[in-house]
Amino acid sequence: MVSTDPVLTTTTEHRAGIIDCDVHPMPAHLDEIRAYLPMPWRDRFGGGGRGFFGNPSHGARLDSTPPGGGPAGSDPDFLRKQLIDEFGIAYAILMPRAFCNVHPDPDMGNAIAAAYNDWLADTWLSRHNPDGVFKGSITINIHDPAAAAREIDRWAGHPHMVQVMTDSGARAPFGQRQYHPIYETCERHNLPLAIHPGTDGMGINVQPSPGYPTHYIEWHTCLSLGFQAHLVSLLTEGIFERFPGMRVSLVEGGVSWLPALMWRLDAEWKALRVEVPWLKQAPSAYLRDHVRLSSQPLENPDNATHLLQILEMMDAAHVLMFASDYPHWDFDSPTHAFPKLPPDLHRRIFSDTAREWYQLPAAPEV
Amino acid sequence: MGRHVVGRVSDVPPGDRRIVTAEGRSIGVFNVHGQFYALRNSCPHQAAPLCLGSIKGMTMPGKPGEYIWAREGEILRCPWHGWEFDITTGRSIFNPHKMRVKAYDVTVENTPDDDESVETFDVSIEDGWIILHV
Repeated sequence: MVSTDPVLTTTTEHRAGIIDCDVHPMPAHLDEIRAYLPMPWRDRFGGGGRGFFGNPSHGARLDSTPPGGGPAGSDPDFLRKQLIDEFGIAYAILMPRAFCNVHPDPDMGNAIAAAYNDWLADTWLSRHNPDGVFKGSITINIHDPAAAAREIDRWAGHPHMVQVMTDSGARAPFGQRQYHPIYETCERHNLPLAIHPGTDGMGINVQPSPGYPTHYIEWHTCLSLGFQAHLVSLLTEGIFERFPGMRVSLVEGGVSWLPALMWRLDAEWKALRVEVPWLKQAPSAYLRDHVRLSSQPLENPDNATHLLQILEMMDAAHVLMFASDYPHWDFDSPTHAFPKLPPDLHRRIFSDTAREWYQLPAAPEV
Repeated sequence: MGRHVVGRVSDVPPGDRRIVTAEGRSIGVFNVHGQFYALRNSCPHQAAPLCLGSIKGMTMPGKPGEYIWAREGEILRCPWHGWEFDITTGRSIFNPHKMRVKAYDVTVENTPDDDESVETFDVSIEDGWIILHV
């Protein structure tokens, strides 16, 4: 049941600022998650994500450890101070890291997804959210689409859950038909599906590169490979024709690869349209209505003009949304990650596009 | 150029650091093996508080597959993106010619007062004063 606690109201005060589309809240201790897990999963849940491919230096900003202890991102007050207040964030889209998609047992993955959703709703989206600055993502186990659809149904309508989320780690490209129950449900509730890196090649998931790379630098650089494969699959399988209301947020999957990939895909489509006759237009033409990318980690060529050109090539004014990835080590500062942008484009990327995408309340000018 | 008293030598033991504000700037003062250095506490990349980073050694350039760990205690790694800087020069490791953080002079003197002759002492004088020149 979705809570109807009166604190779950949304105010629009001080809401003209930046929308940060990738912020990671952490439980202070895994027992916070276990409290929501029924037996036998409570005893068996050990947390954890990939176990290897860890950053050799640090995985979270060293200055993001809360002064009162606990992991980075576990203290809502400190997160407010270091991110929300520091940069004037109007809304932070929260992306918990449940890593529920690694498990071979779908019942366990489903239980973990549900526990993270209960935890998020009871903490960050309610008692730590009197002003509505935090917006949540519904964690699902992508490997059990029917159960995932039921989990989405359980949370749709919650005033602060604004999308569904899955790791990019998968056993098959996301356009394939086994995922249809998820998309039907997302569409019915008008909730975008966010894809976020994680669990690629881990647990039961395949690695989207030819085998396992040796180093973290390779693994981390190539996270965008899975995103590219998922996007090509979603477009060519006709997901946006079958589910015209379906929307996908590509979060932390990289940015600058988009124009070249779409040129390639559109060129292929001209010759191979016969294979995918359900596409009513060039694949790239679906992006503006159905796909958004978040900006972090933004590629930054030495010549800033080159990046500005890529932003133009990719229709960034309509498809790109700012994200910081706080508190992770590759945090993009709202004030330093981008080169100087034209004011209209800045406003689109940092605020307007995400406000429209997540249908967040309009804000008074500050 | 301003002269700022950081503290006693014994306040900042080898391997340690102190963040001070001088002339409106946040600056990190480091004791590296008994020698003092100072760097601007703002990473030239995205303005992170650089001087709060970890103090490490580094893997030296070598042949593929070779790991030579050296310069222990001389390398500052940004607390956000992990860029490495040479504490003794402020120069980055990946591009020392083009990417660097502002470095300041630090001396160890026998008095904190400005009107004394600026005579520097060896850092082995443990009750000397660390003076930052900004």
